[in-house]
Amino acid sequence: MNILVLNCGSSSIKYQFFDMDKEVALAKGMISRIGMTGAVLTHKPFDRKEVKVSGEILDHIVATSYVISILLSANHGVIKDKSEIHAVGHRVVHGGEQFTQSVLITDEVMSEIRNLIDLAPLHNPHNLRGIQACNKTLPNIPQVAVFDTAFHCMMPPTAYIYGIPHVLYKKYGIRRYGFHGTSHFYVSERAAELLGKPLNQLKMATCHLGNGASISAVNRGISIDTSMGFTPLEGLLMGTRSGDMDPAIILHIMGREELSLHEANTLMNKHSGMIGISGVSSDMREIIDAANAGHTNAKLALDIYCYRLKKYIGGYAMAMGGLDAIVFTAGIGENSPLVRELTCQGLDFIGVELDKEKNSTAIGKEMIISSDSSRIKVLAIPTNEELVIARDTKDIINGIIK
Amino acid sequence: MPANRIVIVGAGVMGQGLAETIATTGTDVILLDRTIKVAKQGIDRIADSLNHAIARWAMTEADKKAILSRVSPSADLQIAKEASIVIESIPENLRLKRELFQKLDDLCPEETIFITNTATLSITELAAVTNRSDRIIGMHFLNPVPKIPVVEVVRGLKTSDDTYKKASEFADLLGKTPVLVYEYPGYVTTRIIVPLLNEAMHVLMEGVSTAEDIDTAMKLGYGFNVGPLALADMMGLDVVMSWMENLLAELSEHKYNPCPILRKMVRAGHLGVKTGQGFFKYDKDGNRLPGDYSQFDDYRVKK
Repeated sequence: MNILVLNCGSSSIKYQFFDMDKEVALAKGMISRIGMTGAVLTHKPFDRKEVKVSGEILDHIVATSYVISILLSANHGVIKDKSEIHAVGHRVVHGGEQFTQSVLITDEVMSEIRNLIDLAPLHNPHNLRGIQACNKTLPNIPQVAVFDTAFHCMMPPTAYIYGIPHVLYKKYGIRRYGFHGTSHFYVSERAAELLGKPLNQLKMATCHLGNGASISAVNRGISIDTSMGFTPLEGLLMGTRSGDMDPAIILHIMGREELSLHEANTLMNKHSGMIGISGVSSDMREIIDAANAGHTNAKLALDIYCYRLKKYIGGYAMAMGGLDAIVFTAGIGENSPLVRELTCQGLDFIGVELDKEKNSTAIGKEMIISSDSSRIKVLAIPTNEELVIARDTKDIINGIIK
Repeated sequence: MPANRIVIVGAGVMGQGLAETIATTGTDVILLDRTIKVAKQGIDRIADSLNHAIARWAMTEADKKAILSRVSPSADLQIAKEASIVIESIPENLRLKRELFQKLDDLCPEETIFITNTATLSITELAAVTNRSDRIIGMHFLNPVPKIPVVEVVRGLKTSDDTYKKASEFADLLGKTPVLVYEYPGYVTTRIIVPLLNEAMHVLMEGVSTAEDIDTAMKLGYGFNVGPLALADMMGLDVVMSWMENLLAELSEHKYNPCPILRKMVRAGHLGVKTGQGFFKYDKDGNRLPGDYSQFDDYRVKK
């Protein structure tokens, strides 16, 4: 079974095309600048060179037809006929409380995703546009929605209810939802396999450290708490997002600087985090370079980043009543030995012993990076959200998930 | 509607604000004026405005770069041929606007929609010089365009339902709430605000209160973001006066008579923020200077 996985943004579409009988990606790529001049499709078949195609790509419908054409093309393609695309899996950011697992897309599902736009105004509309585009370009081919929030749906109310009037939860759905669920799920499963233990016997803290960053407490395979909340702003320090802070601060600043809602929003989402503290960059590599070169505030940003992560790991160990593994994934988690080292520093008292040698070699690959004697194992695992989407899509088409 | 090619004719303050707003939504826009130099100056002003937004945390350098990359300057009206929407924002002069619409009407395919940004002129009268009076509509944006979330969508006598629907969708794309108004002097916003500003000037003139206290009373009392006298300074006192005269001429009611101190200040060249002196004083970046307002004793009726 061949499955096309799409991740649709406002002006971009990322895709991967899987042969799910062998579980291999036959091709991957992305289209950027949809609806603008200079739109480009970048496509990489698994066995050939990357190609770039530019064209007039006005909307998501045209964009999906470009993806299909290149998958079919004689030189760069991987299939001969449209009918070899058996299903499409979509990443959908917000599933609210309605969607606790992946689902086959119907008109009803689409209208529910539409109803969730209020909760994810920056993502759900574009995810929905991708689905509508496939309805046009690939009619009669089943489509599946896989939600970023779904993995966190088993959190107990103690983890998801905020300390504000309960009526606001009822009225507007104000609660913790959590994000990056597909990634937390994937790495927790992989970690269990690498450790050779059943998932349902493990307590893990999974750290997804990319542009956005979140940590999940995965207790026996279930996310019982996660650091991102109602929106992806809460929790860890990120490249440009503040993460946790006293909510009164923003009210205070809005008053002092006479900021509008929009200005306050971009202040916290785009001008804060590592770029805000350091003034140098939102990119961890540049932060580390600057810190090494003696930039005080870059060093401070790096230290705060790891300190806050460490606090969360401790909190989640308490919440789960134990900890067997710490998993690092996504851009920074997979590629930064320094961040992993600083985060694990001083944790020998609960049984974390990082193997410095292994840690320094684990760059973009799956590895156990703690010492053999470490009671709590530390792992670096590259995430693969697309594969999870493809698997769920396959299972739904085969009637395994209903 | 794939509103993916938009041409703005007129790179003045309103044209700049519109181009900035459109580009911010991720849509490409062409800013056209008589010469490339003028069009480029308009884009430089947009860059200034974006720098100001960055200083207010409203966006990042990367956002600014992306927004500016979507605005191209032009001095060639032929480019309007490829637009789905052409927006006119040239000076408020009936003859100039009629000439422009005539030229555009000859150039553009019949489905192209023309939007006029006029605040004063008759859409019906402008449309009459073209063969597409059903596809011309007014959209009265308020200055500063990027910040004011409302737009008056003005139907001329012959504007079609379809054109109105498309204009409303365009307003949505820009993140503006459309308010439907019919062609009539001052529409809603200008008709109501200008006499209010004029009344505040009468209150000042009659010595009821100081400029500062009048503004404070209205801001805190009725939830205005800006007091009426500061707002008049921002709009430009000459603009406020010409509006009063326009309403007076069109509607012949003495309530639209410009307040004598408004006339006096316009004659003195005290036009508000743009000249550094109005009811309050301003530095050259338009920031209000603090302090003593006793100079306005001149404008009061002495008791």
